[in-house]
Amino acid sequence: MSNIDAEQHTEQMVFDYELDAPLEKVWRALSIPAFREKWLPGVGLADPEPLSSAPCEEIRYRMRDGEPPFLESVVTFQVTPNADGGTRLRIIHGLADARLARDPPKAANSNLPCLMRAA
Amino acid sequence: METDIFKALADPTRRAIFEKLAGGGMNASALRDGMEISQPAMSQHLGVLRNARLVREQRQGRFVNYEVDPQGLALIARWLTKYRAYWPARVDTLKALLKDMDQ
Repeated sequence: MSNIDAEQHTEQMVFDYELDAPLEKVWRALSIPAFREKWLPGVGLADPEPLSSAPCEEIRYRMRDGEPPFLESVVTFQVTPNADGGTRLRIIHGLADARLARDPPKAANSNLPCLMRAA
Repeated sequence: METDIFKALADPTRRAIFEKLAGGGMNASALRDGMEISQPAMSQHLGVLRNARLVREQRQGRFVNYEVDPQGLALIARWLTKYRAYWPARVDTLKALLKDMDQ
């Protein structure tokens, strides 16, 4: 999982929606598999189990595109109550495919540039 | 760039090659296994896929290995385009579901 968090250079998109339903209800639709399946089918997910979940705040799923080269990504759903008793839903969807890592040896070393200096 | 991708994948043979490579990189002769295709034709198809930045080649000694190029900007652009349309449609379905759910 740590390699996903390390992906900072990849493309991502952010969407905000105002939903006319209380946060607790939206949370159930996001997190209970039977409800989630009705609007976000498991076929688009790499894993139906969430990658992480902070109840009534944020839930993340790993996704896999259905077409070659089956790019993997991570979607984050964040929910906050809005002023009208409804819910603001933020969707953050970013590529997180191991194959997208550019120049991995250099990146792994980037914080320690001087340790290898010989006398 | 998008047009290059669609042109490259419009050909069924090229699409088959691309999908084969999506399962893992391999050299041209391994690619030809199980496909009725001559070596020059394979080279030509690989050239088109490479120009569209769908496939990249890596030399390993005397051999050239081909693999899907996930860094291809065109490929990422296609991914973004797809999901930019995907989420609004999913959220519409979510809104309908919320109406149907009990409090």
